[in-house]
Amino acid sequence: MRGRDAFSNYHPLVNFLYFCLIFGFSMFFTHPVCLLISLFCALCLNIKLTGAAALKGLFCFSLPALVAISLINPAFNHQGTVILCYLPSGNPLTLESILYGLSAGTMLVCVLTWFSCFNEVITSDKFIYLFGRIIPIMSLLLSMALSFVPKFKAQFEQVKQARSCLVGRDVTNGSLLKRLGFAVSCFSIMVTKSLEGAIETADSMKSRGYGLPKRSAFSVYIISKRDKFALLWLFFCAIFVLCGSLSGCLFWRYFPSIRGVLIRPATIATYIVYFALCITPSIIDIVEEIKWKYLHSKI
Amino acid sequence: MKKLFALLLALLFCVAPICGCNLSNSLPASLGDSIELPESGVVAAHVFEEMKRENKIVRFYAVSNGIHYEWTVFGSDIESPKDLNLGIQITSVSPNDIVFSFISKENFGFSPVLSITLNETWNAQSATVYKIADDVQTPIGGADTVIKDKCILNFSPPFQVGSLEIRAKSENDAPSQTTSPTAPNSKGTGTKDKYNTDPVPEGKPKPVEPDDINVNKKIKHTCTFSIECSSIINNLSDLDPNKLDVLPPNGVLFAPQTVEFYEGESLYDLLVRVCRENGIQMEAVWTPIYNSAYVEGINNLYEFDCGSGSGWMYCVNGWYPNYGCSRYKLCENDNIAWRYTCNLGKDIGGASAVGE
Repeated sequence: MRGRDAFSNYHPLVNFLYFCLIFGFSMFFTHPVCLLISLFCALCLNIKLTGAAALKGLFCFSLPALVAISLINPAFNHQGTVILCYLPSGNPLTLESILYGLSAGTMLVCVLTWFSCFNEVITSDKFIYLFGRIIPIMSLLLSMALSFVPKFKAQFEQVKQARSCLVGRDVTNGSLLKRLGFAVSCFSIMVTKSLEGAIETADSMKSRGYGLPKRSAFSVYIISKRDKFALLWLFFCAIFVLCGSLSGCLFWRYFPSIRGVLIRPATIATYIVYFALCITPSIIDIVEEIKWKYLHSKI
Repeated sequence: MKKLFALLLALLFCVAPICGCNLSNSLPASLGDSIELPESGVVAAHVFEEMKRENKIVRFYAVSNGIHYEWTVFGSDIESPKDLNLGIQITSVSPNDIVFSFISKENFGFSPVLSITLNETWNAQSATVYKIADDVQTPIGGADTVIKDKCILNFSPPFQVGSLEIRAKSENDAPSQTTSPTAPNSKGTGTKDKYNTDPVPEGKPKPVEPDDINVNKKIKHTCTFSIECSSIINNLSDLDPNKLDVLPPNGVLFAPQTVEFYEGESLYDLLVRVCRENGIQMEAVWTPIYNSAYVEGINNLYEFDCGSGSGWMYCVNGWYPNYGCSRYKLCENDNIAWRYTCNLGKDIGGASAVGE
């Protein structure tokens, strides 16, 4: 079990419910304040979980993607009432289309960052624990698929190093054509290896009787008082935010003209609860750290 | 633990009632109910006040002399709410002519669209509105016809006192360089051209390919140009609710006026220029198979916004060309109207252009 952050030590149900809510809200709320809240909390948690890798991902992928989307959208979308100038095609460039592009980009970055947190918190053993009984084949397949990319990356590095050590056939050596050949053969090795790995995993799980009706699985997860409290908190926040959104407190539209609610009392209340929901894991971590340091200092 | 739970519940109950309140001052426009006018025709000020506050679009209807009429009032258009008499008295109806007078003794202070549903279809695209005062008729504007089960006359009277007469504009009145006004909608004979266009009826201008045109900026001509979307007023329930905000309260985006164009320009060139000069949003896409631009939306009112058969069409001297607007070469004194259709042109008399 990962002991790096306190939120991961909660019951898998709490973790999974939290991410379900966050994915749902982040994907459906186009209100700019909600997007900013979600982005801020996602970055906080991601930095807490992965450290420098999160920042690298942010600057190397997320920000360029955000800029690209907000530039591409106005090139194809000409709706909007505020005309800034005219494009060479004769169609107008509108303020609304730029802002819509920005919001779509932010939403994409948000959801990707949340998924990277999801991968850190919901490890494959938690996933199998949650869904192993209900949908055994699907959950095994999903957990294998979800861990495929990180595993592939790690193994690729291994193969690359082994090849460069043993025979000097590395992508940094030789002419362009040779290097291309090395890369292709390295990739082919990887495909073979992962296919074989998948079959081996399936065989091994089968031989252990995975998915048989009467077989139980060992797990160390128990729902404690702390988990019950967390579940209650998640339900409270979800119902509050859902009520707020359904009653039109988070109404926002971009086309044809930007209209929405920004500072109504109910809207502000919804922002606060939404922020509380999003920041929950980071707060749990910080509180736990403070507690630990406090106890440490007492010894 | 119990204490915290109680605190949370208390918070939930405290904040929940606030969720229902409406404090925003930038409410988007919404479609209100249809209200039948009382016998006297008077609508109280508080009705208008509520419409203004909630930015509602409300239709008031009544029947006079066996003819149904309807006012479409935009809440955003009302400046100072007051008691108003919206009733009209239709005095005479004959084919291609209708006379009525307003019961109101004062102007409304805003200009809603009056839609009169005629019992017989008029054989005209548009009509002229005359003001009758001391037996003298002065033309004050035009009315557009929309066919939806029955023929509807749409126009926005600039004042709401006195008597008006609406007379159908016969096709002969329109300035036209075509020689024979006979059978305007009959199809010519022959096969489709290479851009999939049916033969143009006899006497109507043939399409001119945009590649063959040389614009001569030294020679200027004039023509009449207008953009209107009154058919949406008659199909408000089909309109995308988000687009209610961009719908003009009088149904007219660009009132008919004389504009200049250069020798050799196509109708599309003129539309682009008029929209730019007047700050009207317009989106068009070049369609190679028809060798023309296709106008998707004007003023954020797009194709398919008001039902699956909706979009923009153009009409020149009462005829809807069956080819794209980039292939229509402008002529001196053309009367050009861009009109929004909600039913593939059938409602605005342009069904022939889409091959029906």
